[in-house]
Amino acid sequence: MSQAVEKYRNTFLREVEANVEEGQWVKMCMQCGVCSGSCPLGPHWEHPPQEIFMMIRANKREEVLTSSSMWFCTSCYNCIARCPRELPITHIMHGLAHYAQRQGLAPKELPTAKFAKRFWDNLLKKGRVNELQLGLQLYFMNGLAEGIKTSLKMQKVGLGMLKTKRMDPMEALGGHGCKDIKGLKAALNKAKQIEETKAAKALERLQSKS
Amino acid sequence: MADKKFAAYLCKGCGLGERLNINQLAAVATKEGKIPLIKQHDLLCSSEGVALIQGDIDSEQITHLMIAACSKRAKTEAFNFENVAMSRANLREGVIWVRPDTEAAKENTQEMAEDYIRMSCAELKYMNIPAPSQEQGRIPHILVVGGGITGMTSALEAAKAGYHVTLVEKTAALGGMAAQLHRRVAYQSPFKDPQPTGIADLAKQVQSHQKIKVHLNSTVADTSGAPGRFAITIAHESGGTSTENVGAIIQASGFKPYDAQKLTEFSFGKSPDIIDQLGLEALARQANGGPIKRPSDGKEVQKVTFIQCAGQRSQTEGHLPYCSGHCCLTSVKQAMYFKDANPEVDTLILYTDLRMPGFGGENFYRSGQDKGILFTKGQASSVLPNGGDLTVKFKDLILNEEVEDTADLVVLATGMLPNSGIDIEAIPLKVEEKKAGDSASEEPVAASPPETLVPVESVLNLSYRQGKDMPQLIHGFTDSHFICFPYETRRTGIYAAGPVRRPMDISQAMEDATGATMKAIQALENAALGRAAHPRSGDLSFPRFRKEGCTQCKRCTVECPFGAINEDEKTYPVFNEGRCRRCGTCMGACPVRVISFENYSIDTVGQAIKAVNVPDESSEKPRILLLACENDTYPALDMVGMNRIEYSAYVRIIPVRCLGSVNTIWITDALNSGYDGVILMGCQKGDNYQCHFVKGSELAHIRTSKIDDTLKQLNLERERVQTYEIAITDLARIPQIINEMETTIQRIGLSPFKF
Amino acid sequence: MTNVVATNQTILVVGGGISGMTAALEAAECGKDVILIEKNPSLGGRVAQLYKYFPKMCFPTCGMEINLRRIKSNRRLRILTLTEVTSVTGDTGNYSVTLKLSPRYVNENCTACGACANAVTAEFDNEYNYGLNKRKSAYLPFAMAYPQRYVIDSRIIGTEEASKAKAACPVNAIDLDMQVQELKITVGAIIWATGWKPYDANKIQPYGYDRIPNVITSVEFERMADPLGPTGGKLLRPSDQKEAKNIAFIQCAGSRDRNYLKHCSRMCCTATLKQTTYIREKYGDEGKANIYYIDIRAIDRFEDLYQKVKQDPTVTFIKSKVASITQDKSTGNPILNGVNTEGYQRYSTPYDLVVLAVGMEPSVDFTQLPINITLNESGFIEFDPKNGGQFAAGCASDALDVNRAVQHATASSLRAIQVINKVAGAEA
Repeated sequence: MSQAVEKYRNTFLREVEANVEEGQWVKMCMQCGVCSGSCPLGPHWEHPPQEIFMMIRANKREEVLTSSSMWFCTSCYNCIARCPRELPITHIMHGLAHYAQRQGLAPKELPTAKFAKRFWDNLLKKGRVNELQLGLQLYFMNGLAEGIKTSLKMQKVGLGMLKTKRMDPMEALGGHGCKDIKGLKAALNKAKQIEETKAAKALERLQSKS
Repeated sequence: MADKKFAAYLCKGCGLGERLNINQLAAVATKEGKIPLIKQHDLLCSSEGVALIQGDIDSEQITHLMIAACSKRAKTEAFNFENVAMSRANLREGVIWVRPDTEAAKENTQEMAEDYIRMSCAELKYMNIPAPSQEQGRIPHILVVGGGITGMTSALEAAKAGYHVTLVEKTAALGGMAAQLHRRVAYQSPFKDPQPTGIADLAKQVQSHQKIKVHLNSTVADTSGAPGRFAITIAHESGGTSTENVGAIIQASGFKPYDAQKLTEFSFGKSPDIIDQLGLEALARQANGGPIKRPSDGKEVQKVTFIQCAGQRSQTEGHLPYCSGHCCLTSVKQAMYFKDANPEVDTLILYTDLRMPGFGGENFYRSGQDKGILFTKGQASSVLPNGGDLTVKFKDLILNEEVEDTADLVVLATGMLPNSGIDIEAIPLKVEEKKAGDSASEEPVAASPPETLVPVESVLNLSYRQGKDMPQLIHGFTDSHFICFPYETRRTGIYAAGPVRRPMDISQAMEDATGATMKAIQALENAALGRAAHPRSGDLSFPRFRKEGCTQCKRCTVECPFGAINEDEKTYPVFNEGRCRRCGTCMGACPVRVISFENYSIDTVGQAIKAVNVPDESSEKPRILLLACENDTYPALDMVGMNRIEYSAYVRIIPVRCLGSVNTIWITDALNSGYDGVILMGCQKGDNYQCHFVKGSELAHIRTSKIDDTLKQLNLERERVQTYEIAITDLARIPQIINEMETTIQRIGLSPFKF
Repeated sequence: MTNVVATNQTILVVGGGISGMTAALEAAECGKDVILIEKNPSLGGRVAQLYKYFPKMCFPTCGMEINLRRIKSNRRLRILTLTEVTSVTGDTGNYSVTLKLSPRYVNENCTACGACANAVTAEFDNEYNYGLNKRKSAYLPFAMAYPQRYVIDSRIIGTEEASKAKAACPVNAIDLDMQVQELKITVGAIIWATGWKPYDANKIQPYGYDRIPNVITSVEFERMADPLGPTGGKLLRPSDQKEAKNIAFIQCAGSRDRNYLKHCSRMCCTATLKQTTYIREKYGDEGKANIYYIDIRAIDRFEDLYQKVKQDPTVTFIKSKVASITQDKSTGNPILNGVNTEGYQRYSTPYDLVVLAVGMEPSVDFTQLPINITLNESGFIEFDPKNGGQFAAGCASDALDVNRAVQHATASSLRAIQVINKVAGAEA
């Protein structure tokens, strides 16, 4: 049987329910579209949330997971506040993005993905985000020339922050960490393990079905 | 009747005393009205005023009283006297409130008031106190036709209220369509899961109830009589008949499923795996909670697709134009059958508008989603058998793409057709519509109902002059036409309930059955007292008929909107008072004027018309007669008065029960006695009629359209008689029309018939 | 003092809207004793505030007139206005009910001549028109008001205004000393026909009802369309009193929404279809109606109206729950923002006027009353044998259209009669 006729099965919906944070809410969407209309970045995405939910229900696994759409979410929570069915849409969007990333299906060269990666790596080092380092990394993400240009542009802001002691230049050198970095790493590892087991089980279930 | 004692009471309150010469009015009542006892009072509706009148009734044995004060719709609590005939001259809303308070206007205003006194006196003179008809008795017994969930509910509810019931069911068992169901839609909080139908239990209760007698394998072979004395012949399949006398009837004849064979695009009949909702109920009953298997090869269904509105909500020929109301709920329930047995089964519902209203509907929808049912707004175009599977083509309207999907089973949510019996109006109506002409242009309806809509078997077999079954409403349902009065039927004492009345689900049908039972009980109780049914509930008057003058023209028997009048073997009318709604359409129809009511007759109105003082030509004061429907136009006229909107002082208004009761003799009499114009105001007619007596307004329009001949004979201009459709809200329009008539008369000149 | 004779064979109907009137009349016309109470000064309830009924486009006052005539001619039916229930004790067939009667300050002498209204100057928001205009402090609530008696607004009691009204009355009908009265009665059965109220649109923040003048509710629009209403039937924008011709309707404004009312209010879709015909009635092809909806729930034969409206080229349907409304400051036009979900089209469209098709919620919060009755999650009265001799009629039981409310009220009337007949030991 071809892919086309496997539409409108629960297969992908179940996969999402098993692997995506708050994925069990997807089925509750009634296609009113208030989330899509409420999203401040709406005009920039290919598929707004309500359409993503419909695509999940239409079993469009590839299209959903390779989509850049959920990467646009800025967590403004407008959609959650307005959803008449109380779907935690923001969480589902992040969950989907994360799952796509895990599956290696997320599109490359997504600025938000790049940012997320840097943010995460930065965080892992010392258990807290080093804003100065993260900021500089982002400035120079696309090469030296652009980095310098951006830095110059932001000069005034930087100086202002220095003056008001909102920025400590010493942080650029190493920065301070959180209290129990070991404990944090252990916790994160445990979480990763749990997720992986969960995903493996779901995969098993899916494979046994088909 | 022999000893009529008259009295008149003139009120001076609300400015009447200041604006009118009351002594002069009293003189008119004495001299011209010939009323022996006349009293004036400063405020007649006050407790002293009422006591004054009641005192006279008691001490002077007054039987007929005239009250000259406000509109007959006002102060009804005060002027509420028992066992007297009463006429009311409307001097407030009808005179001083619609006339300017100026010296110049004074003369005409006073003349207006004097005429209303004359008219009321004349009316009163010809009024009699109605006594209830003794024709009907009290039979606390109800016939229920149909043993489905609606019929059974009706029977039990009636029995619970203490009434006897005879239930007639065509088939060998109680239960009807609902007995074919595996489960019913959730009907109470939390509205989450399909529920047992409870049919077996209900049937047991009905069978064992000592007040309920059940006839299975039986039909109603004949229904004659009227509320309070219906005689029913029940035919049994075994060959015998039995008879039963009942006070009222409930028609719960249910529905037929739409014939899905007509849906060739969905290949119904081409594969056993393409079924309708009843087909799925059968599969679910077989499975009984286990996995549902497809009929073709017994394979467990892994994917089922529901197509909503199959052959419904569609203008395509052979399809049903309406929505059957329950199918969305039913499909969700049915998808739950699959999900509850095995959550892995894929269930897809294709809908265009998901109609699951109210508190329960929305909860049930959410529960369906929670169980994993897939929904999409989609328009199915075809279902085709494809090897062992089915291919469903549809357009997903959300994703905006054409989809070709497979399924093991396809369920078509087809609609319901009412078992209304014979469409008694089907043929004659069409002929009339052509005659009336005007309505045809507005309605481009491709309306000819599909042939399946025309059942050949009668449900009630009424031995009524106008046909064997109840008249139907739109799409063949035996519904009420009135928003405010959902149980109105055009056959008094017979009430439709359940899906024969309107498409509905089980919960609604049970509710509907209870309501119809209420109306049936009410009808039989009122019939026993000789009281009219809605909308003139409580009215004791009924048509009196003078056989000697009758020419057997059959107009009354044909035109009665409620089929109340039969014909005897010589085609004389036979009135059935219990069926009569007292609208007076028969009185209006009668060319020889032999039909009247005790308190509303050819004379009460005719004499009032003639009582008006028509000034001679030289005075240049025209007279306009306005016959106003008391249901809508007259209240509107009252509100015109309350809003102090002025109109011509030359008009004289007489309220009529319904425009259908207007006999053309009144118009010719008016013209003959020198009136310059006649206006008739009644309710909207046609498909969206607002006439409470259904046909009254329409008939009046037809009758007055024929008055042209009379006008020609009298050599009068046709503009002198005008008929209007008026709504209760037409406060601005009514004075305009009246004033326009005055202008018209100015233009064409006064009537030459002033003597 | 008002005195009422009631026994355990009396039915008490609470609420004088169309459901209450129907329930009371059906029982009274069956020979039962009925007391009908209404908290407002007149009968009629919400339907009295409607311009037309769907799907026939007939006038509610027409049926109201028939019902009033039935009431006037029935001696078994007793009506108390300005009356509320404060407590209910007892059980099926024998309830003890406490009523609170508020003063009207106008007695039976009133002839509705209007002299008091002419005499006073103070004005208050006209509740009949949902505050769209003002009414006098001595007033007849509306043209068809029954009882046909004026009311003195309690807010002017003790002021010069009140004295002016009293002095102007030619028939001594004004009694400024009337007091709140308490009345205890015994009844056999109770019908709760307490009806509905429009959902408070202020709570729907994204729609800006509280801050954008040209966003109004469907019930306000209904009053506006009525030629006897506050604008004389003109569809005027509140901001500048200009005629609104391009009008948007937002369905499910408060309904089907866990943030507001969880249930579907059932009648709003068909009510909006009806209201589009008002636009056509006023402007012909010049007007425009735009309906934003999730599902058009024009159930059973209401479908005919939907089909008819769909064929009207001036009416557009957009399957979308509107995300937010903003305002174009220069024109006062509300701008609707959202997504048409059929094929994903974004819109940001200005209109002259926006009508929120607000949902129905129970007008009485029974949880706040000392009354034992089963309610569902939305506060509607559930049918439950535990309710004994208490029954809901009409919108107290669910969101219903007029036709279904009357049907339901008729059924409730029988249920009450069953209780009464049992009490009476009546064998038919």
